[in-house]
Amino acid sequence: MNGALLRHTLRLQRTKLAIVSIALTVWGFLPPVIYARFGSQFKALMESGIMPEQFVRFGGGDVFSLSGSIALGFIHPIAIILTSVFAVGFSASAVAGERQRGTLEVALARPISRRALYLSLLAASFGFIAISIAALLAGSVSGATFAGVVKELAFRNLPLLWLNSVLLFGAFAAIALAASISFDRLTPALGVTLGIVIAMYVLEVLGSLWPAAEMVQPYSLFHYLKAKAILTGFVAPFDMVVLSSVILIAMVWALVVFPRRDLAAPS
Amino acid sequence: MATAAPHRRCRPATDLPDRRKTSDSSGAREQHRQAWRGRVKRVHAIETIGLTKCYGQSGLVGSLLTRVRASTSPPIRALESLDIAVREGEVFGFLGPNGSGKSTTIRLLLGFLHPTAGRARVLGLDTVRDSVTIRRRLGYLPSGIALYDTLTGEQLLDYLGELSGRPASRRVELCRRLELSARTLKRLVRDYSRGMRQKVGIVQALQHDPELAILDEPTEGLDPLMQRAFYEILDTLKAEGRTIFFSSHVLSEVERVCDRVAIVREGRLVALEETAGLLARRKRNITMRFTGPPPRLEDVSGITNVEHGDGYVTCRVEGSVRPFLAAIAEAAVVDLTIEPARLEEAFLEFYDEAT
Repeated sequence: MNGALLRHTLRLQRTKLAIVSIALTVWGFLPPVIYARFGSQFKALMESGIMPEQFVRFGGGDVFSLSGSIALGFIHPIAIILTSVFAVGFSASAVAGERQRGTLEVALARPISRRALYLSLLAASFGFIAISIAALLAGSVSGATFAGVVKELAFRNLPLLWLNSVLLFGAFAAIALAASISFDRLTPALGVTLGIVIAMYVLEVLGSLWPAAEMVQPYSLFHYLKAKAILTGFVAPFDMVVLSSVILIAMVWALVVFPRRDLAAPS
Repeated sequence: MATAAPHRRCRPATDLPDRRKTSDSSGAREQHRQAWRGRVKRVHAIETIGLTKCYGQSGLVGSLLTRVRASTSPPIRALESLDIAVREGEVFGFLGPNGSGKSTTIRLLLGFLHPTAGRARVLGLDTVRDSVTIRRRLGYLPSGIALYDTLTGEQLLDYLGELSGRPASRRVELCRRLELSARTLKRLVRDYSRGMRQKVGIVQALQHDPELAILDEPTEGLDPLMQRAFYEILDTLKAEGRTIFFSSHVLSEVERVCDRVAIVREGRLVALEETAGLLARRKRNITMRFTGPPPRLEDVSGITNVEHGDGYVTCRVEGSVRPFLAAIAEAAVVDLTIEPARLEEAFLEFYDEAT
């Protein structure tokens, strides 16, 4: 890992990181407030049988409990899009984008191995994700405090939820970075990663809304984010292992392939 | 150097005729090989032996893709068995038209590409095994350098200097000579003109005082005054014993600054000579005006293309001009023009002969 490269990357991304963090804090603030204000009405609505149960338990979250509402905030497309700014956008462009612009060769003309470059970018990516998820959690806690329901929250479970979420988006970042080192141009790297993320999200949503499709959920990495379960005291070691394994496989791919790749002149 | 897409199909080296016209004798080649094996003291900053690059054949991804595409798009040989040796302390010109293999060679030397066959050494180190160590000791200016637009010139130089891991001991001097003021360096790179970017590119390549500078079309975008300032920087570096590998297709500047020149075409070394030697062997264009009977030049050694006009004669002289001067000694010459030999003509001649 290269300290100068890491600092440079953090400096270049700091404005974007601030915007994403603020947006995630604001977004995280809303679900607990909605739960506190409308939770009982939603529960009554569901118990009336007008709506199928699956529709109000979207993606493992719900609006009948604080833990469910926070979980809903984590799996909601808005949170995923915001977190993907770094998990997908930054990571996919980190190498392929620089290759395309021609700035990569200026950096690689210095005494930096490709592995050190990759590990620095991966560390930066994980750092951005960690800060983004912390902002989302901070927003959720603030919302719960504002709505007066914070007593329902077990603070000791928050670090595990943070870790589970960081591993999920870290897995996407590792996949994006593996794609980034495998292509010379940004478009295919970004396209492949977005394709994977969207396909997995569709599998997860499909499985949660349609009981007959539940069997496809294990093929989605989103399935291994157990936000509500963690907030209610469940430890999810298997889910963590699955997500860590994906990160590891993507890292091995990148560390083997990147140093062996030819970096031809940017076109 | 904007490398045009290589267009030669990959085939075994043995299939290709050897058109190289190098001044290296077989003895020199043997010494070169012995130096490679470490039996004699290193005197070369850059050495390549049989360096060959075939695009689409190295790396896991590359080999997989190559197999998939093999039927429709066969691999391309961008560089063919290149043997060069750049002496320490010299300014070495690397010439060739677009797509000739100049950028490929540079990228092989920097470890950006992996050789398909052959080997290369830079500062006595293997370009594949010791790539990072090599890059600690060299400076590189890519052709049409891309810079981080959101940084100021100063931030960019600080960052690249920090990555180099060596103090930017030459920065002040380089900025002064290239007229990069402190005020200019406070501006964002995105606001720089092409010439300004090139100046920053030169500074980033040389600010840490590298032992070897690899410069790919370094005067691209510089005005004539700045070109002259840059040549003076090269003179200083050369006087201090630094080695400069200089890639260009601007022949006049290679002629101005380089001690030796290698010419590549279609990935092959076409010529490798002292610049002065190359120029000395050039044909000179002569125009002579006279009164009285014309001198007889047709049978004079080294003279060709003799054409007579009304009171003048034109011809070309190759090698020494003494036979020519002897032949016109009796003529009543009123005007004589001898066009200086230009490297461009040498280059074009090699280019034509290799076709």
